[in-house]
Amino acid sequence: MLPHAIPRPNFTLTDTHGQPFDFRAKTDSTVTLLFFGYLNCPDVCPVHLTNIASVLHGMPYDVTRRVRVVFVTTDPERDTPEKLQKWLTDFDPTFIGLRGTPEQVKAIEQSVGVAPAVAGPRDSSGNYEVGHAAQVIAFTPDDSAHVVYPFGTRQADWVHDLPLLAQVK
Amino acid sequence: MNVQWWCSARGIPWRWHWQAYPGVWLAVIALAVAYVRWTRPIDPDVSAGSVSTARRIGGWVAVVLVWMTLDWPGGPLGTGYLASVHAAQFLVLAMLAPPLLLRGIDPGRARALLERNGVAAKIVRVATRPLLVMIIFTIVMLATHTPGVVDTLMRTQLGAFVLDSAWFLSGLAFWWPVVIDVPVREHFGPPMRMLYLFAGTQAHLYLAMWLLLADLPVYGIYELAPRVTGLSALEDQQVAGGLLLTIGGTYVLAVISVVFFRWFAEPQPER
Repeated sequence: MLPHAIPRPNFTLTDTHGQPFDFRAKTDSTVTLLFFGYLNCPDVCPVHLTNIASVLHGMPYDVTRRVRVVFVTTDPERDTPEKLQKWLTDFDPTFIGLRGTPEQVKAIEQSVGVAPAVAGPRDSSGNYEVGHAAQVIAFTPDDSAHVVYPFGTRQADWVHDLPLLAQVK
Repeated sequence: MNVQWWCSARGIPWRWHWQAYPGVWLAVIALAVAYVRWTRPIDPDVSAGSVSTARRIGGWVAVVLVWMTLDWPGGPLGTGYLASVHAAQFLVLAMLAPPLLLRGIDPGRARALLERNGVAAKIVRVATRPLLVMIIFTIVMLATHTPGVVDTLMRTQLGAFVLDSAWFLSGLAFWWPVVIDVPVREHFGPPMRMLYLFAGTQAHLYLAMWLLLADLPVYGIYELAPRVTGLSALEDQQVAGGLLLTIGGTYVLAVISVVFFRWFAEPQPER
């Protein structure tokens, strides 16, 4: 639980179809799980997204229709729209992928109270890792986030919490 | 190179890079030495007894299986990434290796060794009492599959070592009365052995069904581990339950059948 609620941020990034995505308008009054990460992430991102997708697949439509999962890439250089779309679709076709400039993403991260992502050094192959916030921020229909979910959140936690989050007015 | 002495869950992405586990090597060497000690003839001039070559080879197969189960890659995969490999480890350490090892031991030699060593004889006599062992084996099986226990123990090398040892030692104790008739227990004939095997592995079947039918992953270790295969954590868990149910269940049924048919083929005492 957060000591102070975080208001739903107002920003516009580009979705994987190249269209502007007004976060506040497009996710208004929904449970929105906002997560920052990147495709080459070896652990945190795939585990979080797999667990959320698995839980959503088993939930009643009445809950899932009110849930949005928004993934903002912290590695726009490598995460092209096509790659991002394919990667997210493998988890769940409804997941929304957004891209922006590093400055835009950093500003959003700061506005929701998470540490800005930092790219690590490149190895001999040109690969690099990106250090990024590991928590999922859950915005509720009252347009605020009262709780964040760190890495280590289990599917059982999501099963328990998502219906409750959807009921927040 | 980062050397661990025993496999434990590390929460880092899996890589197919060989890693040394010296503790595993020491344990397997100790097992091999113990097996040689328990299978060599007491008097070098006297034949080893009634143990066939096939049984002796079976014992060495068990040593190799234990080694493969605990060392890279099976060890770390089962400890920190895949519940299905963890289930296979359980089958080897608790169900398959112990009877194979025990079958390589000549009962006459076991009897003679225990007669020479009073303390060991007492330990074996108590630790292989069928009812007691059945209860202990069941408790160990259930306790070591409890999510809280698994998620706690597997995070440390010592914890994983304790869990592997508990499976193997309780497996040895469980299979001893079935395989080695030392000490002789007149009341524990084939019908009782069949009942013992059936009752002693019921928890195993319960665990298998539980893993197979659970709606969610039950172990945090595997649910939160970076994926190694294309299977989700739940699918991997279902494979684990399926392995325990099909391979484990079939194996126990086969052993019970062998005990039955041998008993059936025995000449019955004349009235």
